[in-house]
Amino acid sequence: MSLKDKPVAGTLDASASSAGRAQAAASPQVRSPRRRGPQGKGAKGTPPRQTGTGRLRRGEHLFGWLFVSPALAVLLLFLFVPILLALYISFTNWSGLTNPLSSSVKWVGLANYKTLLSEPGLYRQDFGTAIRNNLYFVLFTVPLQTGLALLLAVVVNNKFLRAKGFFRTVAYFPSVTSSIAITVVFMFLFQGTGVVNTILGAFGVQGPNWLYDTRGLFTLIYNAFGVNNPSVLVNHGFLGLNLWGWVAGPSLGMCVVIIMLVWTTSGTFMLFFLAALQQISEDLDEASEIDGATPWQRFRRVTLPLVRPTLVLVLVLGFISTWQVFDQIFLIGPLNPATITPAYFSYQISFQDSNFGAGAAVAFLLFCLIVFLTVLQRKFIKEDLTQ
Amino acid sequence: MKRWKTKAILCLSASVAMLTAAGPSASATAVKLTGKLHGVTLTFMIASSGTAETNADKAAAAAWGKATGNTVNVINASNFQVQLTQAFAGGSPPDVFYGQTSMFESLVKNGELLPSGNLVAPAKDFYPSLVKEFTYNNTFYCVPKDSSTLALEINVDDWKAAGLTNPPTTWAQLAADAKALTRNGVTGLVISPTLDRIGAFFAENGGSYMNSKGTNFAFNSPQNVAALGYLKRMAQEGVLKTSPQVDSGWGGEAFGTGKAAMTIEGNWIIGAMQSTYPKINYEVVPLPAGPTGEHGTLVFTNCWGIAANSKNTAAAVSFVRYLASPAQQLRFANAFGVMPSRPAVAKQWAATHSGTPVASGNQTPNVSAFVQGDAYAMPQVATLGFPTVQAAFDSQTTNLAAINPAALLQQLQTNAEALLRP
Repeated sequence: MSLKDKPVAGTLDASASSAGRAQAAASPQVRSPRRRGPQGKGAKGTPPRQTGTGRLRRGEHLFGWLFVSPALAVLLLFLFVPILLALYISFTNWSGLTNPLSSSVKWVGLANYKTLLSEPGLYRQDFGTAIRNNLYFVLFTVPLQTGLALLLAVVVNNKFLRAKGFFRTVAYFPSVTSSIAITVVFMFLFQGTGVVNTILGAFGVQGPNWLYDTRGLFTLIYNAFGVNNPSVLVNHGFLGLNLWGWVAGPSLGMCVVIIMLVWTTSGTFMLFFLAALQQISEDLDEASEIDGATPWQRFRRVTLPLVRPTLVLVLVLGFISTWQVFDQIFLIGPLNPATITPAYFSYQISFQDSNFGAGAAVAFLLFCLIVFLTVLQRKFIKEDLTQ
Repeated sequence: MKRWKTKAILCLSASVAMLTAAGPSASATAVKLTGKLHGVTLTFMIASSGTAETNADKAAAAAWGKATGNTVNVINASNFQVQLTQAFAGGSPPDVFYGQTSMFESLVKNGELLPSGNLVAPAKDFYPSLVKEFTYNNTFYCVPKDSSTLALEINVDDWKAAGLTNPPTTWAQLAADAKALTRNGVTGLVISPTLDRIGAFFAENGGSYMNSKGTNFAFNSPQNVAALGYLKRMAQEGVLKTSPQVDSGWGGEAFGTGKAAMTIEGNWIIGAMQSTYPKINYEVVPLPAGPTGEHGTLVFTNCWGIAANSKNTAAAVSFVRYLASPAQQLRFANAFGVMPSRPAVAKQWAATHSGTPVASGNQTPNVSAFVQGDAYAMPQVATLGFPTVQAAFDSQTTNLAAINPAALLQQLQTNAEALLRP
């Protein structure tokens, strides 16, 4: 789940407007497979608003549309048409083996959504587990990767640090490495008799078989305090998972993925923060130092407010990308309940069960969830304190 | 990148399909072959297990092409299901392809599979269990490509070191032998945690996946519960483990790396042992019989699928006739160890491979244990949607010592029955 396919270069200036733009460009592609194609051109897709005095002449208007038309055509063909088609498919029983618009494809209304949300059964249970897994994944990964990225950036930006380039490269290195290679290495590290368990064994701790362990982190803590399967929580639930399952926290398998993702992506986001930090004038820092501010006060009161737009950008990108985690999950195991996520579940039922209708429905539910959470996030975390 | 790829497929293939005109679906009853018999180009999509299989397929395609004056493009798919689905959705399916059991029902229901079985060869020429797998509504849709059955592989050096003599023929002996073979760092029996191994024990105990009429699933039968209970007891004793528990990807890896003294795998293990673990000295014997003396194993197969919308079905049928011919089946078997789907050819192959090297190499397993299984093997479930149901079961079998057999099989039954509801 590296972010190297995100529009990094275009957003390095980390201004407030770039944050908004990146989000606007990133949100629709949640559902869309056209990840690499047009998203970088998102800004080109809409003609610039007329800000100057004097109106454009009619001819210029026409030429404006003419010039953007290639990009617009690409966007329409590879972004909007597929999204609409996928939305249509989520209301059908399309098997993936015929033309989706042919007469053999039946309109089934909300049936696919009902199987996922209301009808008791395996799909609902798998979907609930996937949402639970991914929810905890996001809740742990986003704060950790953002915090670590900021910390690394502050350290690397320190003017007294030697060999800056070296440390910058070291921190960024995981981001430019293939996520598949990293996942395979982590799978070796965390297997039953892997390095991690060998080290734990040296301290007399018998490590679990991490990647296949479905026990939740919080459940283990509850158990340590003697709480186990309280009937209040076990007897109620939603999406095929009881409340005890919902409060279980990330499974041990998911914890491994969280550690891996934080390690991989914090380097990318470190670059974002580094760019923002380098914009801050040294005078400000020195002035506050002369005023007697402690290093922590300088960080909290001077640096942090100034990198706030970048912080918001990193959070938004983090939230969106973590909800779509796929490659690592794909490698770790076929429908492993410890690590299954909605994106993987959608793939599984589409291609293994030839049930593209339900697969598309999963994708759209995920899309709605991401849009909802992003709107919520933007409501509560303002980019600019002056707003 | 994988994520990008898979997500791209849905919409990419969909948009491509939109641009191409919708072709009429072939009816399952009247088969009318199209195209010429000479001078055409066929596409042939394969899901190869390795270089040996790819080369054998390419050689067969070239030989048929040369003899008939046609050309065959062999496409070796890296992710077969995804690529085949893409090709069908895009309206340009390969003319001939490996028809996998999990996709069979979906292909038939969408009219994408040419009912070519009887056009290629009479059904009676093949193992009945394989023909049944590719028959839908009494139509024999495609001829079985080959077959693979499960047998018990035994590490001969471990076996001798433990002082054992005759291979196990009953469950009691299997449990005792596994116990005798288990020592520090070596587990007596290691299997992959999946219904595709555990199911063999159902069959050995007189149980099965479906009821006798084939109208409903029968996962929760007392025989199946008892079979799973038997595995649980062995797991509790520590003499049976699953491959993830010994840090292996599958039973063959645990066996090849010496972590397992015995494993249960199909004839594909022969090739893997030769190429990856040539130093292991092993023998193959039929799976032991259950308490009632019943023999049981599982069979896995593919068929030679022909796309109904292919423009050259006449040439495709001719090509498949060649691929499924006795002489070619023997060539495939010799090249990469799959078993012929024709009983007559399978017996011929077994006769030439009883204790002699399959290819170059010093390992000399007796393949007759695999061939023997074809007579009583239980086929896989081909119901649409079953892969996800099975995955839910498989994911709970990693630690067999901790399972509740009755509850687990009841859950499997409930989930599978839901697939049969309209």
